[in-house]
Amino acid sequence: MKFKSLLLVGGALLTGTAASAGGYQVTLAGQKNNGMGGVGVGLSLDQAAMFYNPGALAMVKDRGVQLGVNGTLARNSFVAEGSNTQRELRNSVVTPFNFYAGFGPAEGKFRAGIAVYTPFGSKLQYAEGWEGRTSLTDIDLKSIYVQPTFSYAVTDQLSLGVGLTVLAYGAVNLQRDIALPDSYGHIELDGKAKNRIGFNAGLFFKPNPKLSVGISYRSKIDATVEDGDVKFSNIPASFATRFEATKFSATLPLPATTSVGIGIMPTEKLTIGFDVNFVEWSKYRALQFDFDRQINGSTVSTSKRDYQDALTFRLGGQYQVTSGLTVRAGAAYDESPVKDGFVTPETPDANRVSLTGGASYSFGKFGVDLSTQFVKIQKRTQTQADLINNATTDRIAGTYKTNIVIPGIGLNYNF
Amino acid sequence: MNTTFIFRKTAPFLALLGLSLSACQPDLENDNKPSAGTADFTTYIAVGNSLTAGYQDDGLYLQGQQNSYPALLAQQFKAVGGGEFAQPLFSPGESNGTGYLQLTGFTNPPAPATPSPILTRVTTSLATGRGLGLDGKTTLLTRYTGTDNQNLGVPGIRVADITTPGYGLNNPQGFNQYFERLLPANSTTSYLAYVQERVTTLKPTFFTNWLGNNDVLGYATTGGVTPLSTVADFTAKYNQMVDVLTANGAKGVVATIPNVTNVPLFTTVPTAAVIAQINATPIPAALVPVLLAQLAPLGVTTLPAGTRFGLYIKTNNTGSAREATAADLLLLPASSYINTPSATSPFPNGIGIVIPGASAALAGALAASANALPNVMVLDAAEISSVTTRTNELNTVITAAAARKGLAVFNANTFFSQVASNGFITNNVSNNASFISGNLFSLDGVHPTPRGYAVVANEMIKAINSTYESRVPQLNPNDYRGVRFPQ
Repeated sequence: MKFKSLLLVGGALLTGTAASAGGYQVTLAGQKNNGMGGVGVGLSLDQAAMFYNPGALAMVKDRGVQLGVNGTLARNSFVAEGSNTQRELRNSVVTPFNFYAGFGPAEGKFRAGIAVYTPFGSKLQYAEGWEGRTSLTDIDLKSIYVQPTFSYAVTDQLSLGVGLTVLAYGAVNLQRDIALPDSYGHIELDGKAKNRIGFNAGLFFKPNPKLSVGISYRSKIDATVEDGDVKFSNIPASFATRFEATKFSATLPLPATTSVGIGIMPTEKLTIGFDVNFVEWSKYRALQFDFDRQINGSTVSTSKRDYQDALTFRLGGQYQVTSGLTVRAGAAYDESPVKDGFVTPETPDANRVSLTGGASYSFGKFGVDLSTQFVKIQKRTQTQADLINNATTDRIAGTYKTNIVIPGIGLNYNF
Repeated sequence: MNTTFIFRKTAPFLALLGLSLSACQPDLENDNKPSAGTADFTTYIAVGNSLTAGYQDDGLYLQGQQNSYPALLAQQFKAVGGGEFAQPLFSPGESNGTGYLQLTGFTNPPAPATPSPILTRVTTSLATGRGLGLDGKTTLLTRYTGTDNQNLGVPGIRVADITTPGYGLNNPQGFNQYFERLLPANSTTSYLAYVQERVTTLKPTFFTNWLGNNDVLGYATTGGVTPLSTVADFTAKYNQMVDVLTANGAKGVVATIPNVTNVPLFTTVPTAAVIAQINATPIPAALVPVLLAQLAPLGVTTLPAGTRFGLYIKTNNTGSAREATAADLLLLPASSYINTPSATSPFPNGIGIVIPGASAALAGALAASANALPNVMVLDAAEISSVTTRTNELNTVITAAAARKGLAVFNANTFFSQVASNGFITNNVSNNASFISGNLFSLDGVHPTPRGYAVVANEMIKAINSTYESRVPQLNPNDYRGVRFPQ
């Protein structure tokens, strides 16, 4: 009953937020992992291995289904350069979710599964009339991957796996105000991404009961919107002829990620994981919109991004307190892919520090996972002089700081 | 399976998380707390000219007054201990003050000509009910009867005028109607004495002083007809003013004189393009006999090859005309005057004939026959040089006075030069020094728009903050409009 209603909630709010990894990446793919700083590449905890390391899936003893939902509660503050007015987001809660179902013979050497998760997303609604209104007022970026997965244990110690990552759903809604000489107009871009296919693959090696290592890779997918809708509002008649576009197209790279992880099991009850993720953000050079007709004399709008590749370091562990109860803790440090002077309101990014905690209780075949993450996106200031030097004056000078709390709950049933 | 148990157990946990969120909002305000530093903003007065009064769109009116940079500064000073700021506002019933220019549309000429703006003067709700003054030409404005005035901006005033008795007295020799409306009837008070009285009464702790623009602007806007103030006179009077303002230990900011040749009044008409267009226009056959008749006394019987039209200007009110060069600046009104038909000349306004390689006598005769642009529509290269030199000389006086008293300096000259060459971005919105489309200059091409005044206020705040180690918050200039377009 609860399970069903959770599914409905997930269905209604399919989105992530710029939450637990740099840029617009979201790594909230498994509730157990969420409690452990997001480690998982070198572990074989549960069906979420399909996301973290499909190679480890074959080493997951249980078969089953699991569903997790997270609420990302972001609190962002911004003060424009020279101002003393703190701008705060119109707060919204978004709910990245994950769903896994894993199958296979009880004693066989392979596992198959299907995963549904939200690897990228962002939703921010800035304060009415904030200083950056002509750069951005609202963004809602969603993606859902569906991933059929197959994993095979070559030996008792070595397994590998591959998945097809299908961008099954992608949507962008981007809004900003238009500066007119004596008023503000508004533009809304709204479009759905075309379905695209990529892959992920992983290797998992467990030489002895106390040690495991893994490596995994998820390929880049270009989320491409064609024929997105352009809507103008509040444009006075005297300027109407300058805003003619009705359709847009754009491409946003969902970058490739390479991860390595190590798992250490000093005792049967204690598991410690350490992961490093390498995200190829440098593919994100510019955000370009092409319009069918002109906007203020141009059919193209380009904004420099020049992201740089970024590393994330994760450390986490779990301890089985009783036969039913397991507790977790972890931390992560996430390098921002955004260079100084390039911070945009759509991704008010900086290096992030996360602390996480979690607990599971299992009732035989049924289990509940709770997790929570506290993410601190460090204070970051860029000056107008920085923007002028970088030719990035299409964004705004000032100081951003964000804290995010992400409680989550997962249910799993093993068979 | 007892799942409700789990939910009952976790609900308080989740609720606690929710509560902790209110504490989770990052606090940046603490890092950006306003402070007065070593200055005291309790009582502020503003001394200056039209810029200080909030003049724009070739008029002084209520909305302009409300958006004057002193009003904006006073609003920001409130965050650091500033008090109320009284201005000599026009009443709501006379909100259009002197009247002002409004953009009411654009012309729709046949190509290749481009549309030009249609400017119309607002003539309702004026403050001009007192009619003309005793000089028979200056319009009297409804008197401001308040005794609390802190915005002492008087449009048109030069530093050269500040010690002149009767400068605001309605008299047959002429007077300044903006000063007249601030004074009691029949007062012969000079501006300096008026400021002295305000200082004595209000005991200001902080001031701004942006005088000096009209000491060069008048020369420039009249094409060199009104004389430039002399350096000696300016130096003496400017320092007198600064002494009055600082006598009680008040701190403040002074502003330099922008190079007026950077404003749209002088830069909108593209001289080189106008000259090129005139030069390229073929001479109509019908005009040839007329020209030859004029040139016959000089021995010209046929028009030599290469004979063409040229743009002629007068560089003073009495002397002869000469052909314009790209180094001359054409004032904004020239755009609707050049190449229009003339009642007194066979040539359209501004136009004459050029014969390449002509003798000096012939060239002189051609210049004399041309329908040259009047001096007031042109700031010729020599005048530009005089204006720039004098502006720099007077700015040296201003910065020296500031240094003598330890005052902050808003270098408006440097700032507006940069605006003219690079534009100026305010929170992601592009602005520049272009007429109408640039957002910063109002329809008179000299005075800022509300956006422009907000930018000025911010620049002054930067100067204040850096001199007095204060943290006066800046404005968001984008909250203030550029040129108002027809609805």
